[in-house]
Amino acid sequence: MSDRITVEELSELMKKTAGVAVSPQELAERPDVPFEELGIDSLGLLGIVGELENRHGVPMPPDAERCKTPRKFLDLVNSTFLAGA
Amino acid sequence: MSAPPRRRAVVTGIGVIAPNGTSTEAFWKSTQEGVSVLDRVTREGCTHLPLKVAGEVRSFDPSAVIEERYIVQTDRFTHFAMAAADAALEDARLGRADTEDRPFSAGVVTAAGSGGGEFGQGELQKLWGKGSRYVGPWQSIAWFYAASTGQISIRRGFKGPCSVVAADEAGGLDALAHAVRAVQRGTDVIVAGSTEAPLAPYSMVCQLGYRELSLVDDPARAYRPFTEGACGFVPAEGGAMFTVEELGAARERGVPVRATLAGHAATFTGASCWERSREGLAEAIRGALAEAGCAPEEIDVVFADALGVPEADRAEALAIGDALGAHGRRVPVTAPKTGTGRAYCAAPVLDTVAAVLAMEHGLIPPTPNVFDICHDLDLVTGCARPAQVGTALVLSRGLMGSNSALVLRRGAADAT
Repeated sequence: MSDRITVEELSELMKKTAGVAVSPQELAERPDVPFEELGIDSLGLLGIVGELENRHGVPMPPDAERCKTPRKFLDLVNSTFLAGA
Repeated sequence: MSAPPRRRAVVTGIGVIAPNGTSTEAFWKSTQEGVSVLDRVTREGCTHLPLKVAGEVRSFDPSAVIEERYIVQTDRFTHFAMAAADAALEDARLGRADTEDRPFSAGVVTAAGSGGGEFGQGELQKLWGKGSRYVGPWQSIAWFYAASTGQISIRRGFKGPCSVVAADEAGGLDALAHAVRAVQRGTDVIVAGSTEAPLAPYSMVCQLGYRELSLVDDPARAYRPFTEGACGFVPAEGGAMFTVEELGAARERGVPVRATLAGHAATFTGASCWERSREGLAEAIRGALAEAGCAPEEIDVVFADALGVPEADRAEALAIGDALGAHGRRVPVTAPKTGTGRAYCAAPVLDTVAAVLAMEHGLIPPTPNVFDICHDLDLVTGCARPAQVGTALVLSRGLMGSNSALVLRRGAADAT
């Protein structure tokens, strides 16, 4: 498994853990659309964070579940991976 | 100082997800024909259990009617509730645009007896199988009795009074009474009712402790209240939602009024104290009649609780006589739930749907699988009975001791 979270993986997680379908292309093209607008609320993001932690075996910072947009979330998560590498 | 004119609560919409039909039309066709859909339990993980017969909802595809995120985030009982609420609102011709500008004018009341057992079981299996890190966040709300009320209000944007009756089976009728009170206090629309999904392994094992549960494996003989063969009740899933609306608001919108929720009362006589339920049920009937301003002779049909336990059936037959006097032996009594099973809190709500439809169609549906009555009741069996039905009485008792009665009038009743 890659040590960098891609828009593909985020898209898959959003669908699996929250039932929200947003394509990777859409996430890549409009990364600043808030999660709230996409239909992901705080519990939804919490589920995504938990799944990521289980998959990669790396604890995420508490701020991860408070990120407002996919861009901010990916930046934070990937910098955490980078720091841990 | 004269009292302000009383706001009246009427039914303008009905939505049904039942074992015998996933639309109001299909439910009524099957109900008035007296079709029994009780069958052997087929649900995965349940077939080895001693409960052999149930009323399963087999023709419901949640993905056809609910957005995927609600399917992932909620239990089957909430899927039923959201689908039934949509149907009830559509029947009342209330679209999203109608409440968007006035979100506080609409609310939700549901009753739930078992909550999201199937969802909860899955998460608990993750907890003990893989560890706490694998329990998803939706567990915090999906299993909960209040989930359906919350999710319907979120999904439809309703911000008016929202509540949950987390009680006994009779809570299904109490939820409708709560809706009436909310309308009387000033809310225009309440989506109210109950749905249950207790046919999953964990939930089913919980029910095995009920001594009133029928473990008979023949679908035609498992649930036969008011007969010598009474051997307990058969559980079911599904339920119904109503659009309960203020009469003036309904008239302003020009939608047909299907029924008036005229009177309700509830009592409590203790868990499995069936003999004592006679007094409690009779008192509930008297209270509901009094609130409706209805004489016993005005009742045209009784939808019985019909538990199927000999002492409970006897208590109910006697309670009907106690409360309605000589009329209690003449009034047609029916229990269509013998064809679908008892969906706990949703059972009396489905009976209320049947009562509204009986009034509209002038037809009292029969009691499937029941013949040779051993009580002094005019129980409608075999075929539906044509009758002018202007007023109906729905009765419900719960295993934990609640007794409720609801009086309904056809259309807008005597409102002027």
